[in-house]
Formats: sequence, C-alpha cells, structure tokens
Amino acid sequence: MAHEKINGCVVVKDLYYAVEDNTWVKVNDDGTVTLGMTDIAQNLAGPILHARAKSAGTERKKGKPIATVESGKWVGPVKSPLSGQITEVNEKLASDAQLINRSPYKDGWVVKMKPEILDEEIKALVTGDAAVEAYKAKIAKDNIKACAQIEGADTYE
Amino acid sequence: MEDPEGKKILVIQTHGVETPTRTYSPLYYAIAAAAMEMEVMVWFTMNGTNQLKKGEAEKVQLDKTSDVTLKTMLKMAMENDVKLRVCQQSLELWQMKKEDLIEGVEILGATSIIDLSLNSDHVMYF
Repeated sequence: MAHEKINGCVVVKDLYYAVEDNTWVKVNDDGTVTLGMTDIAQNLAGPILHARAKSAGTERKKGKPIATVESGKWVGPVKSPLSGQITEVNEKLASDAQLINRSPYKDGWVVKMKPEILDEEIKALVTGDAAVEAYKAKIAKDNIKACAQIEGADTYE
Repeated sequence: MEDPEGKKILVIQTHGVETPTRTYSPLYYAIAAAAMEMEVMVWFTMNGTNQLKKGEAEKVQLDKTSDVTLKTMLKMAMENDVKLRVCQQSLELWQMKKEDLIEGVEILGATSIIDLSLNSDHVMYF
C-alpha cells in the first residue's frame, strides 16, 4: 500500500477519497467496496468511544450516514461517499471502536457496500497523487494538527 | 433496534452559563441525534436562554484539556442542522432582545413549544 504522510497523517494512494467528508473507498475484486474513515478523521475525532454502523441490508444514498461515531468531544456521522446497499458491518467496532484510531485503513474499516452506480460516483472521488494534493491543501486550510503514528503504517510501503 | 432516521427529537434546555456542566450534554445529544439523521430542535428556555446571548457561550470552557467551549458546541449543533429556538418570554426574563442573540437562533412563543412537543417523537428535558 503506497502511501504518503502529510503532517504525520497517512494517505494511502490506492484508495479513493471523499476529501471533505474524510472517508475512503476501497474497490474490491468481488464488486463490493469497503468504506472507512481517514487517518485525518480519526485524528480530529480523538479517541473514539462508540461507533454505531447501520445494519447490513440498509440502502444508502451518497451523503447519508453509514455510521455514527462518538469520541469524548465530538460526535458525527460517517457519510457514505457512494450510493448502494450495506452488505457487511465491521462487528469488531462494537466492542473496540478505537480500532478506527489505531488502524483506520485496515482493521478499522466501517462497512462494506454493494455500490449502485460506482462508475459514475467514483468520478467525484480522488485517488493517488491527486488525493495527496487534496489532503495537503485541506490540512493547510483547516490547520489540522499532526497525526500520531497509526498501527502498521510502516508496512504500507 | 428501530431505525431512528427521520424521527423528531425536541431537546428542552433550561440550564445556562452559570452551570457549565449542565450545558454540554444536551447539545451533545442533539448533535448525536442529528448525526443519526433525526430532525432535532433545541428549545432554550428559563436559564437556558442566557447561553444564546452574544459573547457569553465562548466564556464557558467545557473541557479543561481542550479549547472546546459552549460556543463550539452551539456552532457544531447548527452545522449539523440542529435547529436552535429560544422562548420569547424567557428573553424578556433576561432583558435580552433579538439583536442580543447569536446568529442562527429563532424566537418562538410559548404556544409553539406545545405544538412542537405534540409533534415530536420524543422530548428530552434538561
């Protein structure tokens, strides 16, 4: 997983990002997608206490929440970057929500989804160097504090 | 568990800047409900009204380890489409006028709160 660190925050280059909503999409070989929060999102939220995902089978339109996440000082939705049906929920988050903090791009994924119109909606997301540039701009604009080291980041390269 | 999306929650806040620890949770719950795609309104009345006066909420530090103030929470609530409403009669109690209120707050009368209560799926009182 080629990645780049911006102010300590990891951006994995082969994922697709909804930069403003701080979510990522991984396109899987079986036609599903895996969705999660970015390193920057978990950094902003702080230690996550609860993550409540929508159930498998739930239909989502792009922009609607796939989960609600709360930390001591923040609570908010994880907005779906795509439309589709949730096929699987990361059950581990129910007992260990801080997986999102420790491993936002791997063990801390939030849901898997069968996308409805992936070809069309993915065009609104950024990936690769464009994603790195977009996050550089966002981190500078929003004055985002440095991210701490996440689990396994060294193995991404 | 029942899907909460689209349900209406009315949060009634009667506590103000003189009791900071009673101001945080109602807004936190309101923001959580909004994040769950519920329609949320916070109704400020009695002492709750005084936190909406310009310049007051930023003086209330809620967490000594961060720079989060009551103003941060009010702003976050509005950003999450939580509607903030204040009781007309309570404004008079605090000698406040419309122009004293922070931006984004609407004034409603007592009869409105009765209608809103009846039309909500759930009311939370603080």
